Amino acid sequence: MARTLTYIDAINEALHQEMERDDRVCILGEDLGLGGGVFKATAGLYQKFGEERVLDSPLAEGIIIGAAIGASLVGFRPVPEIQFADFIGDAVDPILQQAAKLRYRSSGGFTCPITIRVCWGGGTGGGLYHSQENTTWFAHEPGIRVLAPSTAYDAKGMLIAAIRDENPVLFFEHKKLYRTAKGDVPEEPYTVSLDNAEVRRPGRDMTIVTYGYMASIAMEAAEEMSKRGVEAEVVDLRTLNPIDKKTIVDSVRKTNRCLIVHEDTKTLGMGAEIAAILNEEAFDDLDAPIYRVTGPDIPPVPFSPPLEKFFMVDKEKVIAGMEKLAAY
Amino acid sequence: MATKVNRATAAAETPATRLSPELLLGLYRMMVKCRMCDEKARILFRQGKYAGNFYSNVGQEAGEVGAAYSLREEDWVAPSHRDWTSCIVKGAPLTACFAQLFGKVDSPDRGKSTPAHMGYPSLHIITPASTIAAQLMIGTGVAWGMKRKGQDNVVVSYCGDGATSIGWFHEALNFAGVHRLPMLYVVQNNLWAESVPLRLQTALTDLSDRAKGHGITGVSVDGNDILAVYEAATRAITRARAGEGPTVLECKTYRWYGHSEIDPAKYRMKEEVEAWKKKDPIPRFEKYLADHKLLDDQIKKEVRDEITREIDEAVEFAEKSPYPAPEEAFDHIWA
Ligand SMILES: Cc1ncc(C[n+]2csc(CCOP(=O)(O)OP(=O)(O)O)c2C)c(N)n1
Ligand SMILES: [Mg+2]
Repeated sequence: MARTLTYIDAINEALHQEMERDDRVCILGEDLGLGGGVFKATAGLYQKFGEERVLDSPLAEGIIIGAAIGASLVGFRPVPEIQFADFIGDAVDPILQQAAKLRYRSSGGFTCPITIRVCWGGGTGGGLYHSQENTTWFAHEPGIRVLAPSTAYDAKGMLIAAIRDENPVLFFEHKKLYRTAKGDVPEEPYTVSLDNAEVRRPGRDMTIVTYGYMASIAMEAAEEMSKRGVEAEVVDLRTLNPIDKKTIVDSVRKTNRCLIVHEDTKTLGMGAEIAAILNEEAFDDLDAPIYRVTGPDIPPVPFSPPLEKFFMVDKEKVIAGMEKLAAY
Repeated sequence: MATKVNRATAAAETPATRLSPELLLGLYRMMVKCRMCDEKARILFRQGKYAGNFYSNVGQEAGEVGAAYSLREEDWVAPSHRDWTSCIVKGAPLTACFAQLFGKVDSPDRGKSTPAHMGYPSLHIITPASTIAAQLMIGTGVAWGMKRKGQDNVVVSYCGDGATSIGWFHEALNFAGVHRLPMLYVVQNNLWAESVPLRLQTALTDLSDRAKGHGITGVSVDGNDILAVYEAATRAITRARAGEGPTVLECKTYRWYGHSEIDPAKYRMKEEVEAWKKKDPIPRFEKYLADHKLLDDQIKKEVRDEITREIDEAVEFAEKSPYPAPEEAFDHIWA
């Protein structure tokens, strides 16, 4: 039975259900046990499953991931948490050089089924070090799934699928969506494909490729432009690695125009890769250049409210991009 | 409470007399085997038989062998770049070890990992990355998992003196201390990290003092004294199995050759190298065994002849083993 849940409650429910189902699942990270997590994503788990399985780790991102990797080698399915994407730096080697490559460098001798939950994104007044997006550091790496759900339904289903998946997974949770994204979420456990983008809204005039919090902004912009007769198809990537090329290419073959919308800074962001894919695989189908609406190339995200507003992509900026693309 | 037992000069106290002749000869054979395999690996590199690089362990065999010799099959080893021979100690077949150098399909990773960065999954040897100290964190995670399962297995993880400066070393020790994990961190202090001398690495004299800051046991031993290493490691492993927590075991030693096969090591004084070669752990142990009537020239020759045969066969096997097909590059990226 489905009921309306917030994105964060969907995540919390997924963790509860997977820990109940499989006692190999354990979580570790900063402040997530006794405190239930700084956003309360892990509320109630410590009380229900105890310190053995819900471990407040030392304040050290490297060993949070390193310990999870090691435990996965002896049969556990750890779900470590990086409290803020901004602080993932010390864990970059464990994630990219260890988790993502352990299977490869041992030719399948070791597998590393860990799901790293990371809180990311701006728009909440977090300032320079509580707002960043660094999904593409990781999406660049073969061997680790990078997920960025945008709805409560996907948050639950993709987290459950990630925990059950044999690959290492980075699960990026957007903090702005935690309490603003609400939707129907089935009570029972379910999984959502980790290989497919989702068409959120069909349209014939242009394709908007996006993900994360920006998927909700793109939907708002598309609804408004619909009233003006422009029907945009919104493709929510959901998985940034590997990318579901087919869904993107199929959509652009139909609409012949593409706008890429992301919160990340522009240079070498996801948009660059999407544009390159379309260049290679749908060049003849394009009636216009591929445009990008993204964060500006400045350190994300300066604090003062007007500065943050300047950084963040909003509905108006997406609409301006859609108008430009439609007019070409 | 943190304790530190400096046994660097205490080899004479080693109660080796209670070790059986089989064990003593076993340690001896293994040191000689590691030495001979390592020297062979260097020759093969010089002959152009494989690409990449090799990080010789010659001179450090007492630490390499003594720390892991008493492990059970279910115990884990997390080696680093200079620990190719630790795979031999844990029981990996020489055929696989030499196939590893050549990047052939009969290496455990089918040629994906570099020559010296060898693992052996079925023997619980974790294939290392080149990132210094990363293996310590993964090993610590394995120890955490095994402790949670209620198993009395242990993890031995090797690193060098340089590795003790990096944050991940300390993150690992700290975590192991909090959870009293069954870990043995073997610090092979060979006085140099590539071309950086120890005095520029740390203000410490004994690297086992690193343990103090994490509330765990630290022990320093003469790393060229196989019996001192074996005794300290066995004690640490016994404590670890009993739930008494991790140990940092510093083995004070020296690498005879360059950092790698492409390093002429001109930054070291010839006198320093020669002085350490005189402290070769193998003749030293041979003298001990001879004094105890356990070894003579005949046995020495037999040991070496047998190992030579085994190496020759392994090298021949490895040379005949095929290279992976290029398409294999796509294998094992995703589960
Ligand atoms: C994180 C990291 N930094 C630098 C290097 C390059 N590097 C490889 S080995 C080494 C020196 C290691 O010294 P030590 O820890 O003393 O081990 P040893 O080589 O002496 O056995 C360096 C700098 C590396 N592999 N990883
Ligand atoms: Mg060194």
